[in-house]
Amino acid sequence: MSAIPVNAYLLLALVLFCIGLFGALTKKNTVIVLISIELMLNAVNINLVAFSKYGINPGITGQIFSLFTITVAAAEAAVGLAILIALYRNRSTVQIDEMNTMKH
Amino acid sequence: MSGELFAFLVLALLAILGGILMLNLTKVIHMLLSLVLTFLAIAGLYVMLSAEFVAIAQVLIYSGAVTIIMIFGIMLTRHNDEQKTRGNLTRNIIVGAGIVLFFFTMYFSINQVSFGDQATSLHVENTKQIGVELYSKYVIPFELMSVVLLVALVGAIILAKRDDEEEAEHK
Amino acid sequence: MLENAWLIPLFPLLSFILLIFFGKQWREKCSYVGIGFTGISFVLSVIVLFTQMANGSGGAEAAWLTIGSIEFRFGVIVNPLNALMLVIVSLVSFLVHIYSKGYMHDDTRMATFYSYLGLFTFAMLALVISPNLLQLYIFWELVGVGSFLLIGFYFYKEEAKAAAKRAFIMTRIGDIGLLIGMILLFWQVGSLEFNEIFTAVRDGSVAEGLLTLIAILIFIGAVGKSGQFPLHTWLPDAMEGPTPVSALIHAATMVAAGVYLVATLFPVFEASPAAMTVVAVTGGFTAIFAATIGLVQKDIKRVLAYSTVSQLGYMMMALGAAGYVAGVFHLMTHAFFKALLFLAAGSVIHAVHTQNIEKMGGLWKKMHITGPVFLIGALAISGVPLFSGFFSKDEILLATWYDGRYGLFILGLIAAFFTAIYMFRLFFMVFAGESRTTGTKVHESPRSMTYPMITLAILAIFSGYINTPWFGTFLGDWLVGDSEFLPFEHHEGPIWVMLAASLVAFAGIGLAYLIYYKKALQRDFLTSHMPNTYTLVFNKYFIDEFYQYTIEYGVRAVSYLGSFIEKYIVEVIVAAVTGVVKSVGSLGSRLQSGQVQTYGAVAFVGLAILVFLVVWTGGYL
Repeated sequence: MSAIPVNAYLLLALVLFCIGLFGALTKKNTVIVLISIELMLNAVNINLVAFSKYGINPGITGQIFSLFTITVAAAEAAVGLAILIALYRNRSTVQIDEMNTMKH
Repeated sequence: MSGELFAFLVLALLAILGGILMLNLTKVIHMLLSLVLTFLAIAGLYVMLSAEFVAIAQVLIYSGAVTIIMIFGIMLTRHNDEQKTRGNLTRNIIVGAGIVLFFFTMYFSINQVSFGDQATSLHVENTKQIGVELYSKYVIPFELMSVVLLVALVGAIILAKRDDEEEAEHK
Repeated sequence: MLENAWLIPLFPLLSFILLIFFGKQWREKCSYVGIGFTGISFVLSVIVLFTQMANGSGGAEAAWLTIGSIEFRFGVIVNPLNALMLVIVSLVSFLVHIYSKGYMHDDTRMATFYSYLGLFTFAMLALVISPNLLQLYIFWELVGVGSFLLIGFYFYKEEAKAAAKRAFIMTRIGDIGLLIGMILLFWQVGSLEFNEIFTAVRDGSVAEGLLTLIAILIFIGAVGKSGQFPLHTWLPDAMEGPTPVSALIHAATMVAAGVYLVATLFPVFEASPAAMTVVAVTGGFTAIFAATIGLVQKDIKRVLAYSTVSQLGYMMMALGAAGYVAGVFHLMTHAFFKALLFLAAGSVIHAVHTQNIEKMGGLWKKMHITGPVFLIGALAISGVPLFSGFFSKDEILLATWYDGRYGLFILGLIAAFFTAIYMFRLFFMVFAGESRTTGTKVHESPRSMTYPMITLAILAIFSGYINTPWFGTFLGDWLVGDSEFLPFEHHEGPIWVMLAASLVAFAGIGLAYLIYYKKALQRDFLTSHMPNTYTLVFNKYFIDEFYQYTIEYGVRAVSYLGSFIEKYIVEVIVAAVTGVVKSVGSLGSRLQSGQVQTYGAVAFVGLAILVFLVVWTGGYL
């Protein structure tokens, strides 16, 4: 039905994952770091959905797993934001490189 | 070039464009909005992959809820914040090199992979199929997921609230 | 009594311990403690001597350490030589103790002085009754410590400090030789007991080449202790110590320990002709060498110090020429007259407060006791007939003559000639002529100082008569009488040897008389006609400078090399090690920055590399 090979989806997911990873490891604003992690999760979701259509054993399971991932990601975003606000209250910064209490 | 390939290319370019914009913009809020573009493009890709329900969920949760939460987060903290410097240059270079290495490794792996069949029935009553599966085969993970959400909800509230009480005690 | 001879050294030790603890409170009374205990030792020594004469040798021993089949023992042994040494040491020590009471009366550290004297006397007495080499070595070193402490008694004087250190180091060089010799001997014989060593040597169980080596190494120890060439330089410098100390340690007893060592181990030396030659030649050379230096020195004590070196060389020469009795005999007479000379010199210094003989003169009329006793000492050491030195020197010359060492015989005669000259140069410059003293009024010394001198003067005259060609060789017969290891043959020498010795002595005295008393000969004859020779002799043949330029600079060069290695190699290595550790540490601590992103980056890069490797190797890593 489709002329698009599964490799194209995987490649796209890889590019997005790399962008998300780079953002998560280099950006200074905590909010951006969090959203970059969401982007990485999305890249994984693309893989899951692609494998639910193409693959050795295609089926609906991939989509269901991507739903689970989305749910966990939403929960993670909520908790992450709560932590961010708590941190901001304590140290009045959102710069991730100033949150170095793990050093001590 | 078939219409489907064209649609895929456009959506893929949009998604990557959003990501690259996110990396290069300076204002935090702009970065966030550029990612909304990516999320929407990914939702379009889901549709192409016969996953309408996931696509809708993607639009609702990512483009809607998560992004809004993040925007709230920015507003509650420093909404005018800008990315001033590029940060630790050495570390960025190392990370970039690692990512490039990772990218080409994975690219090489992906090219080796070939998959056989295509599922054909996914687009037929997609939402119903998901519902049936969720409530039969995956009922326990599904219920666990609701617990996770509840915990996250309560936890988020407690985390965001506890400092207030402590501050109140101090005052 | 002989088995209780170990009590003798204990009394000075007791004195040392008591004075160390109570010296501060007792102050002047310290001297009585020291004198009393040494006196007891002296009395006991005399008793031991007579017991030995009556009943023969004896001793007592007990096991000390048992290591496998080897047993180290300690104890005492009293044979004629040891008994004689006991009496000499305790007597001189006793007299010096008495003398010091007067000499040191205004010194605030008198208690310390007496305690050191006690320590030294203890060590010396214990040294001479040791029945084995190990025990001897222990006390040999202790004697060195006593000497070190007493030379450096005026520790606030830089020269005294330097001299003390020098004496210690120079004698240590010799001690190393002794130690190596001991170790070799132990390796060969398996015991350090004198008797067993002698038996082994007699039975020829030690190879001759090795025996020569052992004997020479032990002789090096004696060279260090007795101030023989080339390790003699410490002895004149040791004159920085108080004069009684010079009399006791650096004239009569400790420096004679080297001679005593050779005498004790005489059978070992005798078995090796080469070693005997080394001993004889070293002794003869030292005798004449030090005598020439003594001719030109201006410090009264230094003249006596070089005289001591010279006389010790004489003794060594005698021993080397197989004149066992002659060497020991001279050791005894020398102990008396040299102690006498030092005590008299101390009395002079006490009176005029200078040691420079240029600033003395005309003291004969002012010091009625010191003058005559000094004269007696000078006559004795010069070998004037009927004084003790005459007989012992004659014996030595005879021994060298009979041993066929005619060169050494001539050397001995010349040394005797020089001895007479420098002694009477000293005598005339100090006691005769015009007074050149400045300032203080000269007075005779107190009785505590004069009585010991008188006692020693009597001994200096008469001690020679116990072994003469005329009245019998009592000492010689007794010394070697009951020993199975010592051969003895008395030489009924030709009368001309005795005449030659007397002639030489009188010639020397006459020359000194002409130069320094009558002024018939120009005093500066040597200075003006042979300035180079004079400079050479006056500066002690530049031995000190030679040592400075060779040994000291050599050591310095080595130390510079060592410090260079230390600084630029060892320290660099150390710095490199610490640097690496530190940089690793700081790298680690920089990783522990608390930056979550850095942690993530590191983890990710590692993961990426691992994944890459897995893919690269096709999954078969």
